Amino acid sequence: MSTSDDPRERWRQLARAELSGADPDTLVHCLPSGIEARPLYTAEDLAGLEHLGSVPGEYPYVRGVRATMYAGRPWTLRQYAGFSTPEDTNAFFRRALAAGQRGLSVAFDLPTHRGYDADDPAVRGDVGKAGVAVSSVEDMTIVFDGIPLGEVSVSMTMNGAVLPVLAAFIVTAEEQGVSRAQLSGTIQNDILKEFMVRNTYIYPPAPSMRIVADVMEFVSRHMPRFNSISISGYHMQEAGASAELELGYTLADGLEYLEAAVARGLDVDAVARSMSFFFGIGMDFFGEIAKLRAARLLWATLVRERFAPRDPRSLLLRTHCQTSGVSLTAQDPLNNVVRTTLEALAAVLGGTQSLHTNAYDEALALPSDRSARIARNTQLILQHETGIVGVVDPLGGSYFVERLTHELATRARAVIAEVDALGGMTRAIERRVPQRRIERAAAERQARIERGTDIVVGVNAFRAPEEPEVELRVIDTASVVRTQTERLAVLRARRDPARVAAALEALVRGAEGSENLLELAIEAMRARATVGEVSAALARVFGRHEERAMTTTGVFTEHYRDDPEFAALVERTARFVEEHGRRPRILIAKLGQDGHDRGAKVIAGGLADVGFDVELGPLFMSPLDVAKHALESDVHCVGVSTQAGAHLTLVPELVEALDRVGARGVRVVVGGIVPERDRAVLRERGVAAVFGPGSSIVEIARMLLDLLEATPEGLAP
Amino acid sequence: MRLDPSALAEGVRSGNRAALARAITLVESRLAAHVEAAERVLELLFPHTGRALRLGITGPPGAGKSTLVDALGLHAIEQGHRVGVLAIDPTSERTGGSLLGDRTRMGRLAARDEAFVRPSPSGGVAGGLGPRTREAMIVLEAGGYDVIVVESVGVGQGEIAITDVVDVVLVLLLSGAGDALQGMKRGLLEHADLVAFTKADGARRAEAQAARDELASLFTWLRPDGTPVLTVSALSGDGVPELWSELGRRKEALTRSGALDERRRRQRRAWLSDALEQQLLARYLSDPDLARRKQELEAEVERGALLPPVAARRLLPS
Repeated sequence: MSTSDDPRERWRQLARAELSGADPDTLVHCLPSGIEARPLYTAEDLAGLEHLGSVPGEYPYVRGVRATMYAGRPWTLRQYAGFSTPEDTNAFFRRALAAGQRGLSVAFDLPTHRGYDADDPAVRGDVGKAGVAVSSVEDMTIVFDGIPLGEVSVSMTMNGAVLPVLAAFIVTAEEQGVSRAQLSGTIQNDILKEFMVRNTYIYPPAPSMRIVADVMEFVSRHMPRFNSISISGYHMQEAGASAELELGYTLADGLEYLEAAVARGLDVDAVARSMSFFFGIGMDFFGEIAKLRAARLLWATLVRERFAPRDPRSLLLRTHCQTSGVSLTAQDPLNNVVRTTLEALAAVLGGTQSLHTNAYDEALALPSDRSARIARNTQLILQHETGIVGVVDPLGGSYFVERLTHELATRARAVIAEVDALGGMTRAIERRVPQRRIERAAAERQARIERGTDIVVGVNAFRAPEEPEVELRVIDTASVVRTQTERLAVLRARRDPARVAAALEALVRGAEGSENLLELAIEAMRARATVGEVSAALARVFGRHEERAMTTTGVFTEHYRDDPEFAALVERTARFVEEHGRRPRILIAKLGQDGHDRGAKVIAGGLADVGFDVELGPLFMSPLDVAKHALESDVHCVGVSTQAGAHLTLVPELVEALDRVGARGVRVVVGGIVPERDRAVLRERGVAAVFGPGSSIVEIARMLLDLLEATPEGLAP
Repeated sequence: MRLDPSALAEGVRSGNRAALARAITLVESRLAAHVEAAERVLELLFPHTGRALRLGITGPPGAGKSTLVDALGLHAIEQGHRVGVLAIDPTSERTGGSLLGDRTRMGRLAARDEAFVRPSPSGGVAGGLGPRTREAMIVLEAGGYDVIVVESVGVGQGEIAITDVVDVVLVLLLSGAGDALQGMKRGLLEHADLVAFTKADGARRAEAQAARDELASLFTWLRPDGTPVLTVSALSGDGVPELWSELGRRKEALTRSGALDERRRRQRRAWLSDALEQQLLARYLSDPDLARRKQELEAEVERGALLPPVAARRLLPS
């Protein structure tokens, strides 16, 4: 055997021998992020990579934003949490701080996100479900009772209702005796991704962008230790975006915000320093490490190219990371501890500034005390037991990781170039280009899992013989609503109505003009206006934004092309038409304030591919609206997609509403995040079937057809 | 489906929403047993129709049709009308299923008691209406809806076209998308009684107004009858009342000149032709003897031993 000078050729020969003569190219494979990887990387792969050679803490920061990184100070352990009432949340925060957590991160419930008070009848089912209900300064004061806001940094996931909520936080600190200049933390304030994937917006895009800029302006002027925005790729990844899409669109969002701030005359150095990022970290271990490195590299390069700041700190991409929620499985949930650990390790090796690790039961409910402790301990173990904090960017120089960093940066650049060509991110979103790309990626991933092309342990392979019992947190919505309603009643009785009215009037005038709205919102919250009142005052000028657009069909038809089961289902729907005179017709509905519609869209597209006539309902509908829709369209079945825990309230209301409007025969099924013990309750209340998060299109379609063939008629005779 | 045509017709007439929904299902059904019952229901309802404003809204994808129906429908309700909407979505040719999403952009209108919104699959070529759109319109009109809106993509080619079923055709275009030119090429503007450039708000406003002026001046040469061209924004509401009154004026003008009568006569003739075609097809396709003989010939056709048109002629009675 001849020895070549080219190490790659030498390896190919060795590999061919091991593969009994097969070409080593057969080992080229796709990473979960969709990027192709070869089985071996060598020094040759580093040739021509421009980003090599820098040290941590210097441009282009690919190796880290600080010279000493975790060797000097480990990442901040920051767990995202919010539980129903301000009291529960406060107790949880205090325990977390005592248990070694370094920063707080508040999860608000959906009514707060959408600018409704907890006593608003329209949002009853969602109060306290996916986070804490905060309607006033009083609520915020309880959340932070006994927590020194001058010392603990606080991150708040708030976008739609950013003005009243951040205002309430500032007033709470004020009343604790802490000035706004002393506050440290982050406000998410990232509205573009809400229009793209998460749907917890309130106003149309243009006034929403103005609010973002008002907040950026105020924070960069008055709150030097606070991040005025957290540009989030996390939710794009959750909605199904690939690594390059997440990276490209997140940085494009960042550029759009910076542009908006500079356009209103702010100094780029003042603003850029207060911007931070937020990425999701999934199971593509090396891909995620490379993504964070590429993010720093690209951001520094792009900001320098486009804004030429004087201060090098303006080029730093500082980021929070969260382990992936969609990678968690409802089946065999303790496996999620392992997934989260690996994802956390990737985030750390990628050089994150702070980290949230998910609790293993989060595919089922808000975390229990036990699961929350394990999640926190995952990070503590990484920090204290593994020894990985002592060396900066330990994977720097890895042939594979450096090459992957370069590839991801190049691909994300192409995504950004496309956005530029469309006239920036706002225009791109208006034309639904990012939404379509992400929806397509999501449907493809789902189809790959269902076909078994992508393995998920415990879901489509290696299933547990029986599902272990997991203890879950239960939320008593009725009691949360009662407590919050009483507190609001007291507040409304005690405050000075004239002062409130004047403050709200000033907000309306400010919205019509160009005054800084955060300044005005602070005065309104100080006067004890509520989150709902401030949001409504602004809606008088801006209007409320309602939108919903179509999803992709054809993806499942493509992936299941040779699948006999799928073909049998298509045939069954065709037979259904012959027997009943029309196709099986289903309405896929979202109830309440839950805007997570990836699941609903994927299912809708999949069922249409099987041959159903599928209607997608608008977002934010009441049970009565959905019943009216089902009635007028004479559907056989309503499928409710639920992600936010309001199902126990809203689904029985829907069953009653259907009955009341005269659509008694319409079957109701539920899909999404529904804990085992709720299933029996739902069935008792008239729900025909419940599908968990792991259900495939084939399973769902088959069960629906079984159900509808047994009782095919939509309306009762 | 338990069927009592007179009870169902009575239910529709009394404005019972469930009866209305069920009646539309019935007239859309392809089952032979349903077809006859559907005809009886329609016979009972037909005398109670003819007075509503039948409005067709069409335009290329992305022009904002559903969103405008939402705004326009709400405006009509404020003027005291009851609005029935039939939104036609194309059907997937591969599996026959459809994704019906128009109602997602009509959330405000659909929630109103004075509105009835029913999406329907086209069941065929994109751009066409559903095979039973006319029948569904009769049900809605007899059910007390005095504004009937039919929304679809394009004006349709080959199948039933929107111009075959409505009094007034409103074509929506988006400025800056080359829509006007494309629309002309595709015959979209040929059938327009009214044209509006949508999303005329914010940064798009000036662009929409420029597009309107351009098309209007083109129309002075091409359409001497003075087809109005407007701008409208469903988001801000600007132009919605003007559009609504212009639609009313158009219908009035058509009525006065006798053109509406002529249009409706032509539509009934077209309906007869379409119904005849549908019934002929149904009669032959449901014949078990024909199905059997077709199966026999299929093997030869598959092999290429027999030319399909020749085989088809052999199957039909001479």
